[in-house]
Amino acid sequence: MQIELELVRYDDELDKFELDETIYQLDLSEDDEKTYHLLKDSDLHLYNWLKDSDFFTKYIKEEVYLESENKKIAISDINGISFRRFYFFKVTSGDSHYEYFKKLFNIHEESDWQDREDIGEEILQCLSTKRKELILELG
Amino acid sequence: MDNKYIEKMLSKMDKDLSEHGMSRREAMKIAGISGAGLFMGGATSASAEEEKIVKSNAKGKIVIVGGGLAGMSTAARITLNIDNPDITVIEPQKLSVSYQPGQTLVGGGLWDEGDIAYERDNFVPDGVKVIKEKAILFNPQENKLTTDKGTVVSYDYLIVATGLQLDFERIKGLEEAGRAYSAGDNSKLLKALGDDGICSIYTAEGATKTWEQMQKYIAQAKSGKKTKFLFTHPNTPVKCGGAPKKIMYLTNARLKEEGARENAELVFYPNGGAMFGVPEYHDAILGQFKRENFKWHYRHNLIEIDKENKIAVFDAKWQEKGPWDPVMKDFEVIPKHEKVRVPYDFIHIVPPQLAPREIAESDLGSAKGWVPVNKETLQHIRYENVFSLGDVAQVPMGKTGGSVRKQYKVLVDNLVSLMNGKELTAKYAGYTVCPLITDIGTVMLAEFDWTVKPTPSFPFDPTVERWMWWLMKVYALKPMTIYGMLSGRA
Repeated sequence: MQIELELVRYDDELDKFELDETIYQLDLSEDDEKTYHLLKDSDLHLYNWLKDSDFFTKYIKEEVYLESENKKIAISDINGISFRRFYFFKVTSGDSHYEYFKKLFNIHEESDWQDREDIGEEILQCLSTKRKELILELG
Repeated sequence: MDNKYIEKMLSKMDKDLSEHGMSRREAMKIAGISGAGLFMGGATSASAEEEKIVKSNAKGKIVIVGGGLAGMSTAARITLNIDNPDITVIEPQKLSVSYQPGQTLVGGGLWDEGDIAYERDNFVPDGVKVIKEKAILFNPQENKLTTDKGTVVSYDYLIVATGLQLDFERIKGLEEAGRAYSAGDNSKLLKALGDDGICSIYTAEGATKTWEQMQKYIAQAKSGKKTKFLFTHPNTPVKCGGAPKKIMYLTNARLKEEGARENAELVFYPNGGAMFGVPEYHDAILGQFKRENFKWHYRHNLIEIDKENKIAVFDAKWQEKGPWDPVMKDFEVIPKHEKVRVPYDFIHIVPPQLAPREIAESDLGSAKGWVPVNKETLQHIRYENVFSLGDVAQVPMGKTGGSVRKQYKVLVDNLVSLMNGKELTAKYAGYTVCPLITDIGTVMLAEFDWTVKPTPSFPFDPTVERWMWWLMKVYALKPMTIYGMLSGRA
């Protein structure tokens, strides 16, 4: 089985992500394919499995970023499952992203007082920690 | 329990019931709460909650900062759970245990300040020491704090229950009001509010002033002059989210009593986009607003008062569909703001509310100022020997006496576990209750928790306004709080 991957590059100095416009194809072994199917409905488990897999790191280093020294990347899409909101969320992002992060970060909205801007800032604070978990240092 | 108080309360209640042709027993039967000891006159501090507590012999110096309802109830509870505990409460305010939920009733002219004033020194549990000073510096790394008089207090376990501050000074035009606490001397605040239609029930003295101002403008409406009553709700968490609406309903009731309603316009300006965080209660309140011919404008936050011209200035917010974001593959949402100037005759202000400065600026506070705790165990997220509860704790929907009633038992169970080297297993589930007064004589008992669903304790539709809950609000909740919670049992 082959999966499609999209990636983002992380700039340490600017603390910014940049989308790599290329769509990459990664072959999965039979065992990895089974794992993929098990995890595909649980986006962050899928992400962490792939990020921590040796075959993935090897593929990135040998076929995607051959000059990988000091490079930091993250995965933006796995077969259409998008992680872009983790890198590009902003206060003006759409409601679906707010709903996703409120659930993920257990941000309880008291709708009789909380402003969208307040929640947006809280999400950005939570993301500053979460992003560190998602970034893969290529060495 | 003070039997004289109970007898007086029951006598008033019986009079009220007999006017409705009903005995106390019949009333309780209808409510399905015939076993409720407080209603039936069998109330003692022990009967408020029958439970057997096996006392722990855990050792350690426990310091509680704040001797209000949360702090003093916790102190009392610890004395029931630990043999000869070493407890110190730091509280400068003489009337710290006053009954804040009654401020709405004072503002509506149903009670007076004397009905809600309770002195700290009458509710100090046996063996508990009180330092009548204000804790102003915290050093949680060394388990020490310092008071405004320079007393250094060390502790093994710290409980933060300072309550919150009312940030009137954030509103332009009211800067000289400063920040206030609910109880105590608020003469500076009252001077800043003046006598020209500006009021707030969020302090005890302010509640009395609210009733004075309300009568003045009801009289104006009665005289035939069109009179505009505004009610606000700020952009911060507030204690008792129902109070901003309760005082509106009571104003409406008093206007109707005086036959002046047709000359009055009542308008609610909440910062949020809904009447209540729980959809079922939101829908019910919206129905009540329509029935009572109230007006409302969502997403309006009061930012300025022009006292001279009697104009309230709101930051009005709305959202517009923004451009397509090709990276996120979604349309952006653009927040918009504009200042809206609204003339008023009478304005009830619910001030922005925040953690006391000394907490917010210490290592105990979060970026937002509140004490960051695990919302279930109430243990500080960085200092394991520190707990927090009540208004100052960073717990969703937790700023009511009803929340504290659940929190303080959880906190004490977990404190005892920690002192005994055991796992913290007691959990707060977010329960809170808001007896929403909708008229003189009716209350909607809004109970809910973090599921954001109604969690009624009684087998009735919780969205229906009932006279029975009015009786509970006016007659039963205060003794349950003052004599039940402050003895650590209810």
